Amino acid sequence: MSLPELQHRLMEAIFDRDKREAAAILVKSHGALDAVQRVGIYRNSVHGILLQYLGSLYPVCQQLLGEAFFEAASDRYIDQSPPTRPFLAEYGAGFAAFLLQHPSLSGMPWIADVAHLEWARHQAWNAVNQAPSDFAQLAGLDEVQQESLTLHTPNSACLLQSDYAIHAVWLAHQPEDHSEKLLLERIELQQPTTVLVWRTGRRLQQVLLSQSEWAFLTAIQQRVTFPELAEQFQEQLPALLMTAIRQGWLLSFE
Amino acid sequence: MKHPVQGCGIGLRFQHIDQIVDRKPPIPWLEILTDNYLLPGSVQQDYLLDIAEHYPLTFHGVGMSLGSTDPLDTEYFSRVKALVERVNPVWISDHLCWTSVHGLVTHDLIPLPYTEETIRHAAQRIRQAQELLERRLLIENVSSYLQYQQSALSEWDFLCAVAEEADCDILLDVNNIYVSACNHDFDPLAYLNAIPVERVREIHLAGYEDRGTHLLDTHGYPVSDAVWALYAAAIQRFGAIPTLIEWDNNVPELDTLLAEAHKAAKVQAHVFA
Repeated sequence: MSLPELQHRLMEAIFDRDKREAAAILVKSHGALDAVQRVGIYRNSVHGILLQYLGSLYPVCQQLLGEAFFEAASDRYIDQSPPTRPFLAEYGAGFAAFLLQHPSLSGMPWIADVAHLEWARHQAWNAVNQAPSDFAQLAGLDEVQQESLTLHTPNSACLLQSDYAIHAVWLAHQPEDHSEKLLLERIELQQPTTVLVWRTGRRLQQVLLSQSEWAFLTAIQQRVTFPELAEQFQEQLPALLMTAIRQGWLLSFE
Repeated sequence: MKHPVQGCGIGLRFQHIDQIVDRKPPIPWLEILTDNYLLPGSVQQDYLLDIAEHYPLTFHGVGMSLGSTDPLDTEYFSRVKALVERVNPVWISDHLCWTSVHGLVTHDLIPLPYTEETIRHAAQRIRQAQELLERRLLIENVSSYLQYQQSALSEWDFLCAVAEEADCDILLDVNNIYVSACNHDFDPLAYLNAIPVERVREIHLAGYEDRGTHLLDTHGYPVSDAVWALYAAAIQRFGAIPTLIEWDNNVPELDTLLAEAHKAAKVQAHVFA
């Protein structure tokens, strides 16, 4: 058998349990293990590596679902959507959508939004570093410059909106104490939530946003100009701007 | 920079990065998992550049898929090359196996059939990889749990023939030799004695897990006594070459990892006393 065909058979067996026999024809049975079991070791090994990675990416989902359920769900996800790139950090984006479609999780629709939040944290950690602007220079802009001024959130910034209390659920599963932290059973799950995830230097951050903060940052991500912001937010603008700059929600302007 | 790599180092893992950056413990050298640092301009690369100022580094990858029948992934190689140019590692290694094919990626090390055809195929790919990176590569022997029906050579003859035809160096993983020797009933010393001394630039050590029916190369335990004994035999043959402790699962405290590296240094001192 040619090398491409051999590799094709093995690869099929790794991402499809039912294809192990077809690959086992290529393999010697030896000692305590037959050929199917030997192929199975590779399937388990690949799934084990990817399960461990998905667990590191979605630790709160793993705790919420329990290790056994999470492992079974990951197994299915890996077979359905195997990695296609050598950059492991890119893998797993579709896990939230997979959980949303999972027949056993129809009573837990919020779990997919928790997964979205965890993916946003992963993306924020991996975002490209950028040089910040000197916001003190904003004061020196003339009216013409202000007309075309746009503000930018960091590349890492991700705004999330959910019908559920995803920030509180996430916080409930962190080992550290936090003033907002509640036990899971005390959280009102049906609770519209707006969250920002971003990174400053080597620090990953996550905060609940007020409605006006959410609207402000959404407008900024839509590249609305400064006069349009002034029009939309009126007297709230100076306070919103100051908070956003101080918190690091804004990184640059042009 | 470039201090030469000497002595017994450790594989750099995320769990220890802050500690290493802050404390800068005395470690002869560090090996990074190249694939974890390939996002350009990322915080991981920041850490790496910090660390590169204080330690000699080597790069160890999984993603080259040197035995695959897919074309080499040019984006992967261009990212590795860009990182090599920034960090200037002392050397670069990957595995003599395949990790991807037909557009799917396992992120795991799958063995090749040991045939004349595969020798030519893998050697040609390694030469191509060396040309792309403008660096000589070290190729590492992998642990294996299966043997193909069509394999016509021993693993060591295969490794030697590929290294010879590609004209590359060898990273000899002594734990992998031991694991495969137990799984396939061969003499690990016969393996060691077949490897040309002049090509071996680095040795890897790690801990396996005994699953009853086979040994599994989990990198999750201390190096076993049997592997320490094989290591002593290896350095008698290859000399006091740089040795690295790999630990990827159940990653212990940094001090435990450093103690394993220290143990390797003691074995070297004992053998060459």
